[in-house]
Amino acid sequence: MPGFDFTNYNRNAALHAKGVPLPKATSTGTTIVGCIYDKGVVIAADTRATSGPIVADKNCEKLHYIAPKIWCAGAGTAADTEFTTALISSNVELHSLSTGRDPRVITCMTMLKQHLFRYQGHIGAYLVVAGVDPTGTGLYTVHAHGSTDKLPYVTMGSGSLAAMSVFESTWQPDLDRQGAIDICAEAIKAGIFNDLGSGSNVDVCVIEKDQPTQLLRNYMKPNDRPQKERNYRFPRGTTAYLDQRVISKEDMKKYVTIETLSGDDKITTGDSMEVDT
Amino acid sequence: MTSLMGNHSGTIGYSFSEPTSANVKQHSFYPYTDNGGSTLGITGADFAILAGDTRSTSGYNINSRMVPKVFKIGGDDETGEGANIILSVVGFAADGNALKEKLDTMVRMYKYQHGKSMSVGACAQRLSTILYEKRFFPYYVHAILAGLDEEGVGALYSYDPVGSYEREQCRAAGAASSLIMPFLDNQVNSKNQYIPGSGEGHALVPKKAEPLDKETATKLVKDAFTSAVERHIEVGDGLQLVIVTREGIEEVFHALKQD
Amino acid sequence: MDKLVAQYSRPPHQNEMYSEQEQQDLTASVPPLSLKFSLPPVDNRSAFLRAMTDDHSNPSCPIKLAHGTTTLAFRFQGGIIVCTDSRATAGNWIASQTVKKVIPVSRLSRGEDKKTNEPTPGLLGTMAGGAADCQYWLRYLSQQCTLHEIRHKRRITVAAASKILANLTYAYKGYGLSMGTMLAGMTPQEGPALYYIDSDGTRLPGNLFCVGSGQTFAYGVLDAEYKYELTEEEALNLGRRAILAAMHRDAYSGGFINLYHVKEEGWVHHGFDDMNPIFWDTKLQKGEFSNVTSAL
Repeated sequence: MPGFDFTNYNRNAALHAKGVPLPKATSTGTTIVGCIYDKGVVIAADTRATSGPIVADKNCEKLHYIAPKIWCAGAGTAADTEFTTALISSNVELHSLSTGRDPRVITCMTMLKQHLFRYQGHIGAYLVVAGVDPTGTGLYTVHAHGSTDKLPYVTMGSGSLAAMSVFESTWQPDLDRQGAIDICAEAIKAGIFNDLGSGSNVDVCVIEKDQPTQLLRNYMKPNDRPQKERNYRFPRGTTAYLDQRVISKEDMKKYVTIETLSGDDKITTGDSMEVDT
Repeated sequence: MTSLMGNHSGTIGYSFSEPTSANVKQHSFYPYTDNGGSTLGITGADFAILAGDTRSTSGYNINSRMVPKVFKIGGDDETGEGANIILSVVGFAADGNALKEKLDTMVRMYKYQHGKSMSVGACAQRLSTILYEKRFFPYYVHAILAGLDEEGVGALYSYDPVGSYEREQCRAAGAASSLIMPFLDNQVNSKNQYIPGSGEGHALVPKKAEPLDKETATKLVKDAFTSAVERHIEVGDGLQLVIVTREGIEEVFHALKQD
Repeated sequence: MDKLVAQYSRPPHQNEMYSEQEQQDLTASVPPLSLKFSLPPVDNRSAFLRAMTDDHSNPSCPIKLAHGTTTLAFRFQGGIIVCTDSRATAGNWIASQTVKKVIPVSRLSRGEDKKTNEPTPGLLGTMAGGAADCQYWLRYLSQQCTLHEIRHKRRITVAAASKILANLTYAYKGYGLSMGTMLAGMTPQEGPALYYIDSDGTRLPGNLFCVGSGQTFAYGVLDAEYKYELTEEEALNLGRRAILAAMHRDAYSGGFINLYHVKEEGWVHHGFDDMNPIFWDTKLQKGEFSNVTSAL
């Protein structure tokens, strides 16, 4: 049967009743917001992922692609938001292929709420869905239990109250593009600084009719790490070891195929790590 | 009443921890709050540093961005002028304040009655008994006491919530202690560091821990905190640095990230 | 007149700040190591304490106390060997690797260890269970021993000292104290004497004890090699080896090996040594611990 595997459910429930703690899922704390303006819609998110009081990822992406003109901001369990949006993204694309029309935001929102309702809140995805379609601009929130809301400006996550205070005090109707970006970024910053579950940078996504969608990754970086006071590079040979074995390339060729890439081309595409030099 | 000890004998054969939450009674009386934050102390040949962040939290909220955790003990007035001992407390701030007030009063009374300041060693022992007096209703705090001993050497004492204590070179306490303490073990006590080329295999000579100078120690403290701020949500806003030397007590504040 | 006195002798604000009794406590030059403890305002105090501090029955308890240990002491023809590890744990966290778990109990040797090779007169106590409980009550015992010395002009016997401690722990039975301690000493009346006292109120004289989470590992080595006729050097090595075995196998024991020898003239300290080089010496020089491999 496709879908979830429940084989360990009874065992884990029994263990939990005996007092064994459940494994910790990453991230419940987040600030995500959305706001419509005259020609389109803006959504924004912070970039902190937490595991309990520990910051698991300082610069994660909480804005998810669904369709070229429909994007989603996710709060709650990191894995649930990731997989739910990916699943709905696939279904939306199939749906648009079979109907031969551009997907609508309300369709996507309905698919999400039906999926989440079926799982009675066990899928911990709290989402802000936004986009433009032939019917106009759409902005919705979807809760993990399946309830939805349609509003001109929305906030979700543990920093939602801090972010909403910005909207409630400074939002006005008929904002322009930059005005909507500014108020969203300001709302995220309120979450970043006043909610411990949110932090690091501001990601923004702008969706507008007849314009390519813009994902403004790290639109603001208000929390750069200051320079370290000391250099922590150890002299070579500082670490003790009991024994050493050198595995040559020839040995490795017995098990895997090795291809040597030439030049100094940066092969990895991920963010570079900070390293003491 | 269902005894908490009762279920120990009940279940056997599990390789993981004993049955717990299922039978743990929920107490309506819960007099503690964790206010987060972290403290750390380092000593050297002629100084002692105590530092703490200045954030106070409860849950995901910030109560205040400026609540100092390091206090001067036994000063002549409210400013702490004339003190030569410092105390840091982290955990439940209300308990921490009560503890500080009590110790401060006692050290000042000692001065009035004996006409001389209390030694750090004596103060350390006194703090231990104060904590132990509440053995059955503990102060929810991790305390660190610092000053200069009779020889003028930096002295640092760390405590558990009910008063067991030990003199050490360095100690981290509070929310980010598990992040900072391994760093201190490595950088201050030179743990897991060997002298390169001093021998092969087991003949490799471990690096000896040398007493740090004040500047190096201060830099280590700053780096420990900027790193803790990166990875612990309850640590941030400001860094309070209090340094005891023969010249007196110097206190400085530095900014930390506010997210 | 009485009225006048009453008017001026009573504090104007009776319930403000500290009470008179509390003020006296604060100004008392010598704090009484009193039996006056503040208690939580609940019906079932020991259950409250357990919910707050017992990380065994409640791993998410808010206050984690220092625990976990291996300590041993045994009598032999040349006196008594006392040996301990130095690790303190709070839950899964290693709170310290440098705890002094052998506590001198006597007037002459209180405080920091003196840098001398001369034997120091007095008793030795060991610390297992709650670190604060052991430190506090062994200090209390030290006071009582000193008072005994002043009153009777002779040193207290180990039997009497251990009885003071056992009476104390028995009086506090059920309050949640946690300590397993050994008292070792040599007096003209008793010769070498060794007692085990714990927080249940148990008090046992004996030749050989191991206490703590690693006790079984230490017993394994001691029972195999122990005999009363051991020479001084053999006895010291056996004590060290038994603790090493426990530190190796018990996750809650480790750090440094703390070794003492109690002789007729007093106790002698035989080092506070990192277990790691000792372990590798034992393995590589003597061929023991052969199950541990260092080759890839």
